[in-house]
Amino acid sequence: MELAWYALLGLFFATYLVLGGYDYGVGLLLARGATPQARRATLNAVGPFFLGNEVWLVAAVGILFGAFPTLEGELLSGLYPAVLGALIGVVLVTAGVQLRSRPRAGAARTGWDRVVVAGSVLAALGWGALLGGLLQGVPLSGDGHVAGVGHLLTPFVAAAALALLALVAVQGATFLTLRLPAADVPSVARLARGLVPVALAAVAAATVLGLLSDRVRAAVGRPAVAVLLPLALVAALLVARAALRRGRAGVAFAATSVALALPVPLVGAALWPRVLVSTTDPAASLTVADAAASGPTLALLGWLALPLVPALLGFQAMCWWVFRGRTDGRAPVYW
Amino acid sequence: MDPLLIARLQFATTTSIHFLFVVVTLGLVTLLVGLQTAGFVTGKPVYERLTRFWGQLYVINYVLGIATGIVMEFQFGLNWSGLSRYVGNVFGAPLAIETLVAFFLESTFLGMWIFGWHRLRRGVHLALLWGVALTAYASAFWIMVANAWLQHPVGYEVRDGVAHLTDFGALLTNPTLGFAFGHVVSAGLVTGGVLMAAVSAWHLLRRTPDFLLFRKSLRLGLVTAALAVTTLQGFGFAQFGPVGELQPTKFGGGADRDALVAEWTAKFGPGDYTPPVLSSVGLGFMILIGFTLGCVWLLLPLLWRDWIIRWKFPLWLVLLGVPLPFVAVILGWIAREVGRQPWVAYGLLPTGQAVSPVSAGLMLTSLIVFTLLLGTLAVTNWVLLARHAARGAHDPALGRPPTPDTDHHPDPVFA
Repeated sequence: MELAWYALLGLFFATYLVLGGYDYGVGLLLARGATPQARRATLNAVGPFFLGNEVWLVAAVGILFGAFPTLEGELLSGLYPAVLGALIGVVLVTAGVQLRSRPRAGAARTGWDRVVVAGSVLAALGWGALLGGLLQGVPLSGDGHVAGVGHLLTPFVAAAALALLALVAVQGATFLTLRLPAADVPSVARLARGLVPVALAAVAAATVLGLLSDRVRAAVGRPAVAVLLPLALVAALLVARAALRRGRAGVAFAATSVALALPVPLVGAALWPRVLVSTTDPAASLTVADAAASGPTLALLGWLALPLVPALLGFQAMCWWVFRGRTDGRAPVYW
Repeated sequence: MDPLLIARLQFATTTSIHFLFVVVTLGLVTLLVGLQTAGFVTGKPVYERLTRFWGQLYVINYVLGIATGIVMEFQFGLNWSGLSRYVGNVFGAPLAIETLVAFFLESTFLGMWIFGWHRLRRGVHLALLWGVALTAYASAFWIMVANAWLQHPVGYEVRDGVAHLTDFGALLTNPTLGFAFGHVVSAGLVTGGVLMAAVSAWHLLRRTPDFLLFRKSLRLGLVTAALAVTTLQGFGFAQFGPVGELQPTKFGGGADRDALVAEWTAKFGPGDYTPPVLSSVGLGFMILIGFTLGCVWLLLPLLWRDWIIRWKFPLWLVLLGVPLPFVAVILGWIAREVGRQPWVAYGLLPTGQAVSPVSAGLMLTSLIVFTLLLGTLAVTNWVLLARHAARGAHDPALGRPPTPDTDHHPDPVFA
């Protein structure tokens, strides 16, 4: 039962990284200095999906609270600075994207676009730091609380944050090759291809720093799974690059999506059966089973999730289907 | 500074800002459902124009509702990890249900509704708005289930210091739930109605071109506010009975209170178990505002032959009434929430035990950052709302028929 809920939590958070990833990626690309029309066009390429993307995060935290209450408290307060940064980023992007076109003045819109860029950077860095922080363990003491926040200040966490930022940028550019009018595709495809080596370098840096870190080596229970993570990321990025060169936007987007989704299951599997690994007292580590809510709560939520999760996926799929294809002059513009 | 005080201040700030936007969302979405359904049934263009105008204001308002809502959700884990540790098994369930049943679907539907104009069939587009409204109400319901449990914990047993769920049905029949939910929903409708009437009154006073359109929304807003203010007062006063009985410390003295305080002192040790005076003072003001808003009934006869518009001064009264529901909802929440201090879960988990063991400096940083961020966004949002309300229903961006490039007007070329 706990495993099923852990998997569902992973599914929602990974989907959030994939879908929110292109929101933030597109947000980052507003910094390119394009014309006002081009900036608005890129945001409206995300358009109808934007509100439906970020709620995957809301649902993931809801599952975290309902099914893993102990983990919820310790994870969020134990990695406070990373969560704080990500949360500020999420709020800025949410407000920025939806409000940027409400003023008519060009200067105000440019200002809001900067807010979106800053928010996208913060959100990507924050979630990257969270995943990095999980992989290197936290100073969890015997009383079940994480002591202090200085443990996050390591080169590995910084590299993990930058790696996610690079992956998100690639994801955003690749998404645009799928959605923008055909005439605009070559330039964003070039940009996406150019970003792939940056992402590869960031992933390589995080891998090296992770291998050198005593804490990461100690925290990871299954090194084979952990080593698989950078290898799979590199493979996905190379596939994306090749697909972009051949103009296969769909394949490229699938590959970059895999690259953003994979860290979640692989970090989970590498730490399994623990979820918060203590760096100070091995016996204090929090396992998935310990972190889960008690039986009656999980049973109640389980009966509810059984019909509900297919319905949620169905309505999201409806959104993707209704607004499939490239944007064109006839597509609604609101953001 | 004391981390507990900072955490409480942050919760109060975030919740208050959140609620100021949520009441408008709840009220306006109900009115929008009425407007778009009327347009669908009658086929009159005025209803589509009304839906676009009020829909745009609704969507702008929704931005801050969602932004503050996300912060609220994370705040439980960031600042109140004891809450999830000791009572998460019970309290977490309605919150999880709320995110999955309501928040998730509400946003998914709203995204499709905003971008679905002129693209989806009219029936599907209308169904999406119904979906947004129903999930908004579901959201309010499940949040109230969670809040009612904190007011009066039921359906659980404590084993090894941790609460476990025993009877989920008891959470749904919680005596602090039903009337409070009706009260909150009525407050949303009153706020939405007053806002709609006031914006319309402004346009009618300024004699902007859309007389018939704003006459219609003035009437709709006033009638909605009048009907809802009556249920608002009813549900409000109905709560005194159960709440006074279940929370003897909330409204002051009595033998019940002394007995309960003695019981708590024996169980949890000596301490101050009475809530701050602030909460009951606010309650008095809220009731006064409630009676003032009830006077909206006196305006209804003036709708006959448009006397309300011809006389003008009733329109000014409506305009001046805008801040009232907002002040009242904040005072109401202060009475409910501050009134249960010093407990997070009444009589079960003291506030001090629920706060995260995070340093005061870090928590203060979080308080300052989020207060400035959400405060700035809230003010900006209200400015944008006011500007769009003033701009009128001429051509809102929401539902504008698509053209190749909406903002780009090429200069005429003379060959």
